[in-house]
Amino acid sequence: MVERKLLRPESMEDALGQREHYQRDALPIAGGQSLLVLLRNKLIDPKVLIDLERLSELREVKQSKDGISIGAMTTIHNLFSLPEVRTAFPVLSQAASKVGSTAIRNLGTIGGNICHNEPGADLPPALLALNALVELRSRRGTRKIGLSEFLRGYFETTIAPDEILCSVEIPQLPAKAAGVYLKHAISSEDLAIASVAVVLIRDNQQAGKAQEVRIGLGGVAPVPFRPTKAESTLRGTMLNQKAIRAAAEIAASEADPMTDPHGSAEYRRKMVKVLVRRAIAAVLEQPERNGHGKA
Amino acid sequence: MARLKLRINGDDTEVEARETALLLDVLREGLEMTGTKRGCETSHCGACTVLLDGIAVHSCVVLAARCEGKEITTVEGLSRDGELNELQRLFLKHGALQCGYCTPGMLMASTALLRRNPRPTLEEIKVGLDGNLCRCTGYTGIFEAIQACAARAK
Repeated sequence: MVERKLLRPESMEDALGQREHYQRDALPIAGGQSLLVLLRNKLIDPKVLIDLERLSELREVKQSKDGISIGAMTTIHNLFSLPEVRTAFPVLSQAASKVGSTAIRNLGTIGGNICHNEPGADLPPALLALNALVELRSRRGTRKIGLSEFLRGYFETTIAPDEILCSVEIPQLPAKAAGVYLKHAISSEDLAIASVAVVLIRDNQQAGKAQEVRIGLGGVAPVPFRPTKAESTLRGTMLNQKAIRAAAEIAASEADPMTDPHGSAEYRRKMVKVLVRRAIAAVLEQPERNGHGKA
Repeated sequence: MARLKLRINGDDTEVEARETALLLDVLREGLEMTGTKRGCETSHCGACTVLLDGIAVHSCVVLAARCEGKEITTVEGLSRDGELNELQRLFLKHGALQCGYCTPGMLMASTALLRRNPRPTLEEIKVGLDGNLCRCTGYTGIFEAIQACAARAK
């Protein structure tokens, strides 16, 4: 058996060159919290690992009036701790706090969490509800695509074999926005049986009215997704009990859950209904904050 | 194979290992430091918890090569000259262990927690230990030991 190689590039240019050279024979390793488990269980068998740890530019966090750009190697712990994320995108801080356990959050990264694309992962539902984009680089160039386009299927993304996910961009939210992330799991370190992220954009004039309600669902389909039919019923409406209940029903019908030892498909679908209802109720209870971009 | 230079519990050491060897395997097999336990090997149970630059990590999901230039602390590094440290003594006093298999990981996760937050609330202790499973004690003794250690913090 040929021993697996570990490459530890010092520059982005070297890393992209290695990615181009090895293509499908190599996998980039970020925090390794999922990848090393897959390796140990022989679910993947790359000849080469390209370690992204030394690429300090992948840990940069940049804020502008248009939003925030978070380097792919930012750890979940740091993501949770970033004041600019806590104040502007609390739904993402909440989701980060629910990822795995303390030890996993210490090493696991936002980029790794997304690229692994585990159906019950915590960050994708929140990032989907925030309309996040991912920046992918290769020797051929740079492209930026919506996260929903990146998350293709069950443990699968649209990353090309020569690309590296470099950063996640979150557009600034309008004023009068609020967000909540709810996770249902057996034990705190487990993946979600069902999870929901809700971002509410309040109507500027009328209290209790939604301009837009964005919903991200996790754990209840092969890939985290936005239940767009449920969202459209809430656009521009008063968020009363009846409207919320109806939207939760529709969201549940849009789920495509599977049965596993943590919960049956039927149970997961019911939990979508419960969680969507609770999340919208919770988001409505949040006090309106003034100032641009506070969520 | 690679020759790794690691700094463990304040001592510099060199060890032969595969390029993609895990820290847990290097500690237990390469260096015969068996205080760090092999548990689930899927980053759930925390029996293999060690500190990397003071931060709790599960050594079953850490590449040993990445630990070069960093400070590794294992359970063997807690006692001094054969004397248990305060947290270890409080684990004994409060009956924070039965079979003992989770204990090295519990001690390391607690050590990291108390460094980050010397006076944690019970809730913060629970979050700090959310990556460490104990199937004997029901956790009560462990929480008490950590609270007692925190109460002594200046």
